[in-house]
Amino acid sequence: MVQPIQNIVIVGGGTAGWLTAGVIAARHQGRMKSGFTVTLIESPDIKIIGVGEGTWPTLRGTLEKMGVSETDLFRHCDAAFKQGARFDRWTTGAQDDGYYHPLMLPQGFHQVNLVPHWLEKGGGSFCDTVTPQGALCDDGLAPKMITTPEYQAVANYAYHLDAGKFAPFLQKHCTERLGVRHVLADVQTVNRAENGDIQSLGLKQGGEVAGDLFVDCSGFSSLLLGKTLRVAFKDCSDVLFCDTALAVQVPYASPDDAMASHTISTAHSAGWTWDIGLPTRRGVGYVYSSRHISEEAATEELMRYIGPQGKGLTPRKIPIRGGYRETFWKNNCVAVGLAAGFLEPLESSAIVLVELSAKLISEQMPANREVMEIVSARFNEVSHYRWGRIIDFLKLHYVLTKRPEKFWRDNTDPASVPDRLKNLLHLWKYQSPWFLDEFDRLEEVFPAASYQYVLYGMGFRTEIDPHDNEFSQSLATQYMHENMAMTRKLRSQLPRNRDLLRKIHEYGLQPI
Amino acid sequence: MTNIVALNTQIHRDLRVQAGASARFGDARHFVPVVVNEFAFLAVHYPIFFAKDGETGAFYCGAMLGIDEGENLFLTEGKGFETYRPLNMQRGPFFTAGSDIAIDLDDPRIDENGVALFVEDGQPSDYLKSIMGLFRDLRPGLDQTKVFIETLMKLKLIEPIDINLAFDDGTSRSLEGLYTVNQDVLKKLADAKIVELFHRGYLQAIYLMIASRKQVSVLAQKKNARLAG
Repeated sequence: MVQPIQNIVIVGGGTAGWLTAGVIAARHQGRMKSGFTVTLIESPDIKIIGVGEGTWPTLRGTLEKMGVSETDLFRHCDAAFKQGARFDRWTTGAQDDGYYHPLMLPQGFHQVNLVPHWLEKGGGSFCDTVTPQGALCDDGLAPKMITTPEYQAVANYAYHLDAGKFAPFLQKHCTERLGVRHVLADVQTVNRAENGDIQSLGLKQGGEVAGDLFVDCSGFSSLLLGKTLRVAFKDCSDVLFCDTALAVQVPYASPDDAMASHTISTAHSAGWTWDIGLPTRRGVGYVYSSRHISEEAATEELMRYIGPQGKGLTPRKIPIRGGYRETFWKNNCVAVGLAAGFLEPLESSAIVLVELSAKLISEQMPANREVMEIVSARFNEVSHYRWGRIIDFLKLHYVLTKRPEKFWRDNTDPASVPDRLKNLLHLWKYQSPWFLDEFDRLEEVFPAASYQYVLYGMGFRTEIDPHDNEFSQSLATQYMHENMAMTRKLRSQLPRNRDLLRKIHEYGLQPI
Repeated sequence: MTNIVALNTQIHRDLRVQAGASARFGDARHFVPVVVNEFAFLAVHYPIFFAKDGETGAFYCGAMLGIDEGENLFLTEGKGFETYRPLNMQRGPFFTAGSDIAIDLDDPRIDENGVALFVEDGQPSDYLKSIMGLFRDLRPGLDQTKVFIETLMKLKLIEPIDINLAFDDGTSRSLEGLYTVNQDVLKKLADAKIVELFHRGYLQAIYLMIASRKQVSVLAQKKNARLAG
């Protein structure tokens, strides 16, 4: 008999659990009439780890599909705009060393590669040549106006948000609007079938929850995939050295203090700090390699970065372990979020990976147990590809540095660079990455544009042949001019970041 | 600058106000906020759309009097308005403060060659009486319009509309930020909803807005004639 898949059980009530529940429940809303269920089991005791407060623009589409109001998100999750990240002192360590990785694609990205044309012109800021977004961030402007509808952008954006508020916010939406069943209990036993599948979960508070597909969102403990199904963890500390984070919440001196609409990522002697502006506070943290700096010295560096506003604050120490599970979907169990793996939050990849995984599970939801292996094989292949590419992309930020400290020198050691990235860096000496590459075949987490911003932001140079530029010269010139015009227009049109957030709190954004 | 004070029979006894329309009195506007209870007067002359307030993003209803910023195609200098003058323009320098009438003393319409506000015995003049009558329409009209818009929003009956106009002089305009009634959604509304909209007077307002759209081409023709002239 064919066993249909219609009871989905999610373990874990953090961001990953509720996002996955919401994505699946919204997509399969119609089937709920005929017995499809989504149940989320959350331990009443375990505290949520707020992974990163930075997100990717995909979250706008994900939340919109779930039927969440963007105005509510701003009001209830202390959310703010994120237009990208600025990387300070990553290349030389000098005061004026910095570049943007904005969220807007270069102008005309799908028609023409502007990199060789920008190089031919002799450089200057790559970012400012191809997109207005760096200038908007410099000016402290918001990426839209009060008249721009919910989820629509004038300049592409994601969010900075309070992860501690985001999970309860999603929970309310999932249980009240999307019919997700919420069970507050601890999983005590995992009952397995002969073929190794999970049949049901025994709860400490009594009772059992049976299911056809189990989603492990239990965080670092990886209760189902790691502990029960014994899937090993693949460590990546040979590539990415940071293993500790010191996090602290910094108050503003006054409620009207300027607030950046981008993440400020600053390189230090043995790692980097994130600095994220929420409307009510800043989230700041130092991600470092304990092999290269002591906790005391790291704390001192962090507090020096924060300055007077950090007086009296004690950072919270979080050990981090970069890597991912060797398999993400085994039997009838798939892991999403920290249960699947973790990488330093350098490019806010955590939540976007949750979204992509949830979307894939939801769209490819196997009709029955017989075809599940086909879907899970596909899921594993795509997920491996994604984790690998993210690691490559994070490493890219480290390999181009000229900083003298041991941590940075060690990072440029070829032995620590994945082969694929090594090959690409070799290739990029002669041709710049573009979307017609092997990139962007799939739903790439980081498209070729992201590689362009980091490479040329850090002073990487690709050899060019001016004659080779001739065939796309007029198109490139046109887009560069358009960029200047658009930059001028948006700088005069867009409101101050904090002013727009205040207005959204007061008046809300219109749904259309 | 504005200097808005409550109108006082004693203090403002000798005040006179220019009641006619003129560019120097702020009548050269291409889009003016209107209320739902004047739709019937408006729709025969002007297109009525929804638009968003630039400060709050909130929707309001407006009548289109021109194509370009600051252009009122129905205003002839020296002759005033040739057609129905929307309440928000008729009210001139007057406002309401609670149930009282207030006036902006810095408004350029306050002019000794204007119309008297009070007659000999301190009673309101016919002009002031007409202003008081106007506010009896405008004040509740603002609330009714707000509820009208909220109702249509809830029913997803509002949609953006793109209007592109090409003129004989070779120039073109694309009008942005305008919204109208979504007729596809309207056609699919449940009978009970339609009856409810009818009883609240909204169905009439909806059809007046839909019908008023044909005035866009009338405006465009006027504009074309001006460009040619």
